[in-house]
Amino acid sequence: MGKNKSVISRLGGQKFIVLLVVIGLILFFSAVSPDFRKYTTVMSILDYSYYIALMAIGVTFPLITGGVDLSIGTGLICYSLTGGFLIVQKGWPVWAGILVTLLLSITIGLLNGVLVSVMDLPPFLATLCTCMITRGLGSIFSKGFGISWPTSGAPGSWFRNIFKITVNGTKIPLGFLWVLLLVVLMAFVLNHTKIGRYTIAIGSNKEATILSGINVRFYHIMAYVISGFFAGLAAIAYSAVFSTVQPGTGAGFELEAIGGAIIGGVSASGGFGSIEGSLIGVFVICLLKTGLPYIGLQANWQQIITGLVLISAVMVDIMKRKKETA
Amino acid sequence: MKKKVLATLLSAAMVATLIAGCGSQEAAAPAPEAPAEEAPAEEAPADDAAEAPAEEPAADGAAAGGDYSFEIIVKSYQSSYWQAAVTGVNQKAEELGVKVNCTGPNAESDIADQVNMLNNAINAAPNGIGLAACDQDACLDSLQTALDKGIPVVCFDSGIPDAPDGSVYATVATDNYAAGATAAENLYPALKDKIASATAPVRIGEVNQEATSESITSRGLGFIDKFAELASADGKTVAVIGNEYYVNNCKDKGDEASADVIIEVAVPAQTTVELCATEASVILNKADTIGMFGSNQVAAEGILTANENLDVLGTDPASSILAAGFDAGSVIKGAITSGKMFGAVTQSPLAMGQTTVEILTKIANGETVSDVPTQGYWYDSTNMEDNSIAPNLYD
Repeated sequence: MGKNKSVISRLGGQKFIVLLVVIGLILFFSAVSPDFRKYTTVMSILDYSYYIALMAIGVTFPLITGGVDLSIGTGLICYSLTGGFLIVQKGWPVWAGILVTLLLSITIGLLNGVLVSVMDLPPFLATLCTCMITRGLGSIFSKGFGISWPTSGAPGSWFRNIFKITVNGTKIPLGFLWVLLLVVLMAFVLNHTKIGRYTIAIGSNKEATILSGINVRFYHIMAYVISGFFAGLAAIAYSAVFSTVQPGTGAGFELEAIGGAIIGGVSASGGFGSIEGSLIGVFVICLLKTGLPYIGLQANWQQIITGLVLISAVMVDIMKRKKETA
Repeated sequence: MKKKVLATLLSAAMVATLIAGCGSQEAAAPAPEAPAEEAPAEEAPADDAAEAPAEEPAADGAAAGGDYSFEIIVKSYQSSYWQAAVTGVNQKAEELGVKVNCTGPNAESDIADQVNMLNNAINAAPNGIGLAACDQDACLDSLQTALDKGIPVVCFDSGIPDAPDGSVYATVATDNYAAGATAAENLYPALKDKIASATAPVRIGEVNQEATSESITSRGLGFIDKFAELASADGKTVAVIGNEYYVNNCKDKGDEASADVIIEVAVPAQTTVELCATEASVILNKADTIGMFGSNQVAAEGILTANENLDVLGTDPASSILAAGFDAGSVIKGAITSGKMFGAVTQSPLAMGQTTVEILTKIANGETVSDVPTQGYWYDSTNMEDNSIAPNLYD
């Protein structure tokens, strides 16, 4: 068996297995809980998945470089607080608030990239620091108080229609379409552009990549900028779905995104992964989060089960790698 | 706002000095009768508190209350919740003719700043200090200093359980258990007929963001116990199911199999809106659910978020689920105005501010004081604009 073929089958293999898990979970929850089968539940699952999915698309890049971005969760809240503060308290137009949200997210992504790539901080440490910084920054920008973005029906609530529109009384999960389009786009970026190919190269063998004369610093920074930018997009999605953003929250969101990506086949030690895999992995997390309460399981058990699923995904990854090197 | 308050304070201080200079003999007279248990919010419309002429009340007060000065430290100066508290403080200060100086850090998380402010307040040697502590532990040393210097402290909004003995004279804070019960008292009558005519068991959902803090658990249990009490009084049996803490700590958890009314308590794994929304979705989706209660802003907004997709909430018990919330904020206020949410309980920062000044004055007068639980007020679309309610509804 050629090495190329095994890599492809491995990548496709895990994605396929995870897709089966997603389908299995849907069937299981539908069988056990009639309420789960409702269209509104599908809407809720999709609604609550956008911000995790967007974060997961972005964080896949640093993960593939062999790094991680822990700042996306508190970052999301920080960006959303800042944008929301400008819109609600300062009377800025919504588009301007969204623009600032995204610019801030790119700035923090850039900071992460510089810390990791130029200052040579371990990614875990660098992004842990920015995780704390964004958490504090969010509270400062919002003066320590929760911010409610314009609620549906209120002036300036058009941005909610990006993610959900109502046609003849039926709600259409438009956000899912954008998520799918972004997955296609970023999968193209990962597999067919320099940014993506070098991201993978950095993750599989950084030294070799440097020696081959590639501007590793730039592409390494770009991985974190992409991660930051998608956390900014996630901030918009979060604000549109949940309205109120509380300072001090957000820690833990990144773990759902990272967990989703890893379940979806991104190697925990870098080198490969796929955007579509990350998306499928996110849905395992989201289905567990939404579905387990429907079968009457208490919250703490939900977390334990999600943790166990993550362990098994990482185990699959490790076992495959052992097999490959053996 | 700050300027106006400052101007009012300054003019009040000037007039007070003038009058004090003229006849300070009366200064030791006891404060006017004003039982702290009353909800002062109902007495004094807050609309033009800041604009109110300072001369008159100051003159009255100086004659009765003496020229005491108090330092008031709020948790922060930026939200309308605390602005309402400061309004209450100033109202009462004018009424009693005492001087107050209000300060507070930029954010509730600026704990060190607040400790500094407390130390400065102690150095100013006032007749008393009103403190809404950002942190339960950070103020302990300062409280000891205040105790050593003989400056009485009254805590408001949040108590300090470990305060040095004798330093905190009284705590003015919301009675959360009673506030939770207030929600049940207002939700039950609206659902009463539906419960009475139901042929199968009906379900009341409750979303609490956690099962650990005093305020949230008290509110949750207050609602459960009161709702069960009201339903039992009408001859219905009640069972409480769901989160173990609430099931085990309510007065009577009943038997789910035979109950007419089932109160289902959901607690998410983390205190975030999206997890509250998921838990709320589950209960809202059940066909027998007729009412919901979210015991704080996050939980109530979680219910509203869940409803974005479900569209089952309303104010008509025949066709929709009635939801009661807690606290205010633009999302909840908007939902009540638009008829998505039936009503909510708000705390009374205005009354807290007023009561704090009142108690400080009593202490300065040598009276004995005790803790004052302040009420939660029910509000819905009919009374949101009332003078007694509106100042308490912060964004």
